[in-house]
Amino acid sequence: MIKAEHISMEFKITHDRINSLKEYLVTRLRGKLEYEEFWALKDVSFEVQKGEVIGIIGRNGAGKSTLLKVISGILKPSKGEIMVSGNIVPMLELGAGFDSDLSGRENIFLNGSILGYSERYLRDKYNEIVQFSELKEFIDVPIRNYSSGMLMRLAFSIATVIEPEILIVDEILSVGDEAFQRKSRARMLELMGGGTTVLFVSHSIEQIKEMCDRVIWLDYGQVKMIGDSKEICEHYQNYMS
Amino acid sequence: MKQKKKVTIAQGCALVIVIYSILAVCFYFIGGEQLKYTPSQEYKATEKSTTTIGEIRRNMTVMQTFIAQTDEVQRVSLLFATGGKQNPGVALIRILNMANGKVLAQKNVVLSSLANNAYTSIGFDQPVKVNKGETLGLTLNVPNSEEGKTISVWFDAGNTFQGGGAWFLNGVKQQGTLCIIYSGRDKILFGDYYWDLVIGLGILLAIYCINLVVKQKKGKRSFGLNLIATFLKYRFLLHQLVSRDFKTKYKRSVLGVFWSFLNPLLSMTVQYVVFSTLFKSNISNFAVYLLTGIVFFNFFSEATGMGLGSIVGNASLITKVYIPKYIFPVSRVLSSVINLLISIIPLIIVMMITRTPITPALLLLPFSIVCIIAFCIGMSFLLSSAMVFFRDMQFLWNVVSMLWVYATPIFYPESILPQKYIFIFKLNPLYHFIRFARTIILNGVSPEPKAYLFCLIAGFLPLVIGAIVFKRTQNKFILNL
Repeated sequence: MIKAEHISMEFKITHDRINSLKEYLVTRLRGKLEYEEFWALKDVSFEVQKGEVIGIIGRNGAGKSTLLKVISGILKPSKGEIMVSGNIVPMLELGAGFDSDLSGRENIFLNGSILGYSERYLRDKYNEIVQFSELKEFIDVPIRNYSSGMLMRLAFSIATVIEPEILIVDEILSVGDEAFQRKSRARMLELMGGGTTVLFVSHSIEQIKEMCDRVIWLDYGQVKMIGDSKEICEHYQNYMS
Repeated sequence: MKQKKKVTIAQGCALVIVIYSILAVCFYFIGGEQLKYTPSQEYKATEKSTTTIGEIRRNMTVMQTFIAQTDEVQRVSLLFATGGKQNPGVALIRILNMANGKVLAQKNVVLSSLANNAYTSIGFDQPVKVNKGETLGLTLNVPNSEEGKTISVWFDAGNTFQGGGAWFLNGVKQQGTLCIIYSGRDKILFGDYYWDLVIGLGILLAIYCINLVVKQKKGKRSFGLNLIATFLKYRFLLHQLVSRDFKTKYKRSVLGVFWSFLNPLLSMTVQYVVFSTLFKSNISNFAVYLLTGIVFFNFFSEATGMGLGSIVGNASLITKVYIPKYIFPVSRVLSSVINLLISIIPLIIVMMITRTPITPALLLLPFSIVCIIAFCIGMSFLLSSAMVFFRDMQFLWNVVSMLWVYATPIFYPESILPQKYIFIFKLNPLYHFIRFARTIILNGVSPEPKAYLFCLIAGFLPLVIGAIVFKRTQNKFILNL
């Protein structure tokens, strides 16, 4: 399903970001165009089977989000190769690609198409999405009038009601009010039980222990440990404390 | 599922070939004469004129020989002198084949219609078929001239007609040359070989289609199949993005879509009022001339302006979801296409008001539209990727596109530049699209085959360059957003 082979991701960091031609030429002429190399990921390899739920842990800046971005194809690794088969729904940030001038209904189709679903599929699932989001009569209102909770509910519904083959989740299990949170957690568990491959980043070790089959522990861009979730989580907790 | 897809590709190929054949036949009839001939330049005997040859009497024959440089002669001009009088009678003008003395064409011209001391152009009823390189004679008689009430023509004693030729008075060779100009048209190979070309391309197309179908059957990958597959996969997304751009554009305005319609009309009115006094005398049907230019240029400036920001503007999306990035510039350009199509309506209305004839040639307009779309997509690729790295691009582009307005003959005639500097226009892709459209709309005929070629090059070369640059740089976008 997902196969990562010796992935490395290098960022070149300039001390001041050059955004204009003038700055570029000036620094170039002065010979001050210096980059600092920074390896966000170093030689990361792993394999994920279909239906597995994988947790990714590590301290801040360990490369978790970079890894998710590489898997979802947003970033291209500087070295190594990543092979992914199946349709990916990245939930790195809910509601990316919403247009505030359009209604909820129009945004369902816009966002759904961005996530790679066909028109027929979205039409079939439309009612289910609206129902799950509990937006009812607000669905034809431009979403700039939505509350942030309503927006999140809509975004979560679009991302999960449709059954993705691979779901990538970056700390977003606290959506909406308490009732909706319970509902969304149930939905996540349902997806995980139903054969969806899930990659899951969270700082809550309890959540990881509860939900994941296996865990990848990243430290300074490298895989520190990989294996059964309970075992790794214990190591991790000991290491951190 | 797989079975179904196979059928659709074979069907699609069949459809493409059928459409191709229909278009080829239609094009043959719409293109008409323009596909077979190209207008020649004017061949002028001399730039100077020394004096007139004196009154042309009843039994005098004036003749100028010249070597034919065109396949057909359509018009001749002579520098007449009428003495400013209204002369009675007619002049007889003939074209002879000097080898066998045969009269190829003749034309009677009323003397009173001739200009004094200026070239008068005389067109033959039918184009005169001649052979390139043979010697022709142009004779002038005034059969019923009365003394003191007849005309004369100018000649130049110091020059001879370039390429050979002399002038004769009653069969006696004289020195110098008469002041004449002739023009006609040349046959072009394209017309002769049109059907061969059509069949040849058709066969190539069919071979490629068969190749696609076979590859599909064997499950092999190919560039064409990939292209079709990605198009099918992202068609819905493209459709959504285009409709979003279009819906949000006029979302909170009172007149809404009507602005697409009104905008070109208003800017035409303003420019018409300003420029009509300046250039009107040179351009017939200035309103349509102007509006055609405005419609095309507005599309270009809107499409590239939107395309420019397409990557930076969608940064929040690009950093979060994987979508092929070329979708963004393409969708922006396509949503401007909707505006372009809407703004063609006022163009047609103005054509009707100004009584511009509506001819079948208008069916060729989509060709120039497709080419300008390709050009704009290519430019958007270039601009949007440049914009990612240098945000100055947006300010720079404002200046460049303003310069571009003035560099393109939109509100002024092409003749503003002397003939030898016309290449400056020809380097400008927009010039080709606009000229193409104007030939169709104002003259009601198809442009010459060369114009098609220029449009194709001007449209698709930038597209290819833009696509290559975009493809090379797109992986670095995310690091700079």
